[in-house]
Amino acid sequence: MSKLGALLDRAPCGFVSYSDDSRIAAVNSTLAERLGYDADDLVGKPFEEILATGSRIFHQTHFFPLVKLHGRAQEIFMILRGRDGEDVGVLCNAVRHERDGITFTDCVMMEVRERRKFEDALLEAKKVAELANATLEEQAVELELQHQQLQELAAEMEVQSEQLQAVNEDLERQRAAADEANLAKSNFLAVMSHELRTPLNAIGGYVQLLQMGVHGPVLPDQLEALDRIDRSQRHLLRLINDVLNLSRIEAGHVDYRVELVVVSEVVESVMPMVEPQMATKSLRLETAIAPRIEARADREKVQQILLNLLTNAIKFTPRGGSICVETSADSTSVMLRVIDTGVGIPPDMIEKVFEPFIQVDTSRSRSAEGTGLGLAISRDLARGMGGDLSARSSLGSGSLFELRLPRESKPAESTPS
Amino acid sequence: MSQDVRKRNNVKVSGNGTQPMLFAHGFGCDQNMWRYVTPQFEDDYRIVLFDYVGSGKSDVSAYDAKRYDSLVGYAQDVLDVVHALDLEDIVFVGHSVSSMIGVLAANEEPERFKRLILVSPSPRYINDSPYVGGFEQRDIEGLFEMMDHNFIGWANFLAPAIMKNADRPELGSELTESFCSTDPVITRQFAKATFLADNREDLSRVKIPSLILQCSDDMVAPLDVGEYLSRELADSTLRVMKAVGHCPHMSDPEETVSLIKEYLSSPVPA
Repeated sequence: MSKLGALLDRAPCGFVSYSDDSRIAAVNSTLAERLGYDADDLVGKPFEEILATGSRIFHQTHFFPLVKLHGRAQEIFMILRGRDGEDVGVLCNAVRHERDGITFTDCVMMEVRERRKFEDALLEAKKVAELANATLEEQAVELELQHQQLQELAAEMEVQSEQLQAVNEDLERQRAAADEANLAKSNFLAVMSHELRTPLNAIGGYVQLLQMGVHGPVLPDQLEALDRIDRSQRHLLRLINDVLNLSRIEAGHVDYRVELVVVSEVVESVMPMVEPQMATKSLRLETAIAPRIEARADREKVQQILLNLLTNAIKFTPRGGSICVETSADSTSVMLRVIDTGVGIPPDMIEKVFEPFIQVDTSRSRSAEGTGLGLAISRDLARGMGGDLSARSSLGSGSLFELRLPRESKPAESTPS
Repeated sequence: MSQDVRKRNNVKVSGNGTQPMLFAHGFGCDQNMWRYVTPQFEDDYRIVLFDYVGSGKSDVSAYDAKRYDSLVGYAQDVLDVVHALDLEDIVFVGHSVSSMIGVLAANEEPERFKRLILVSPSPRYINDSPYVGGFEQRDIEGLFEMMDHNFIGWANFLAPAIMKNADRPELGSELTESFCSTDPVITRQFAKATFLADNREDLSRVKIPSLILQCSDDMVAPLDVGEYLSRELADSTLRVMKAVGHCPHMSDPEETVSLIKEYLSSPVPA
């Protein structure tokens, strides 16, 4: 080995020379030993044997065409594969030389450790940045999408809101129309009732005159007929009075004379009016009236309501049943309850009984006679006095009607001055 | 349009013959790789050379990441060149990945192609047992790492300069000179389209007779792959070459030329 050859063999860089058929023609000890071989072991072996797998592709697709086409290559990074599998990164300069009629590729290889680490870090940072960028772009797209969805949602809500407003306006119009119709109806009923009462009173008066024999003797058959006319006239008059009352209440034409009313006194004043009917049907009366409870109410209206409730209870309670009248009170209200053991009201009808002209069982009420307006009037009156009228019932075991009235007004709360 | 494609793909036409020989370069290089081969065919054929968009001296501004996401986009480059020159009766010569690009193009318009010459072809580089492609996924990652390291300076210092100086294309020539690549990002995407491709199912649709030139000791496309191709391709002829490596047209152009000439002089199978 020449002196220069010996120097090259131990120079601080790798050297390898290979032919186009990829056979290693020469390799220096520095490179061979770095890869764990003896230089002699490698001569004749394929050059690719000392390349990592990825480098083999890179060599065939990039390095070899480059050297072949340009005659040289500079600063190409390649990863060599040591005998034990270790990856060794090198920078490679190559040049093509013809010797003895054969062209060889002569490569000088310089291991890059620190520089590779630095480059790896740079690449890693670039990758992270690219990934972050991609993520940001994705997020931007996502945000844009959400923004669009929100806008769509907002537009949808806007439409719904407009629709709701339209429905509201429609309802408002319908309600105004209904109020107007109701008022017209009340006025009509008031006028009609008045117009009907006048001739009915005339009928009643003349029947009485006939019964008294003012117009001559009356035969027993005729008396009986007059009696029927009289009863029918009174029923009709009652009906008209009820209608008139209801329409006056609904039209707001009722005056309330509100005062402190002792509830037990009202009950005492009403009971005599119904005792005869209760006796006729053998109904038992039970009372639980607290003395001296006062309500703020119109005495006559309370009497009217209680009378209506008792009349109903008598009407719908079978013979031998019982009716209970009781009172109670809390801090704000006085309650007056009428409880019967009658036929009761189906649950789905419990509110309807307060509507005008409604009766639960038409066939029964016809036989019991009634206008179907009593409860409607009573509730309107109760509410007109700041109270209420409600019902509870179970079908077959009786009903409970509760009149609630405001208690005497509470003393004004003292406020610090 | 035809002028645009000629410029876009840096199309070069030469030769005295009428039947076209269309040479398609492989990944990592450009039409220059055929320079030791094409002179031998100029007397008898019309030689057509081109660079894929993103390679060599192609018009990089025509690059569309979506189009070139798979080999189908590159096959469209081949067909665009075919249409621009209105080529018929074509002898297609493709190296490496261009073998499969040629298969895709020929399947698309078989009436235009006469023969396919596939130099170091592979329908799939990654092993898929029992299929042997020669590589594992991590080997391909190793290739990417190599590319990243070699393009790192270019990508970080030159690329921004080129982007800011579109009127100074000579800035980009440095990489083109050294690696036949116009842009490392494009090259990387080409590498992905190439090495992650699986074109095995396209082989049975090939109706054009083909020559498979298989190097002995090819690290990129091992012998198993050549044998697989010869089984799957109807009317194919497999020739295992004395040449080693992956680029016989560069490492042993004489053998390459002679095998191609021998094949072309044989009658086309009926």
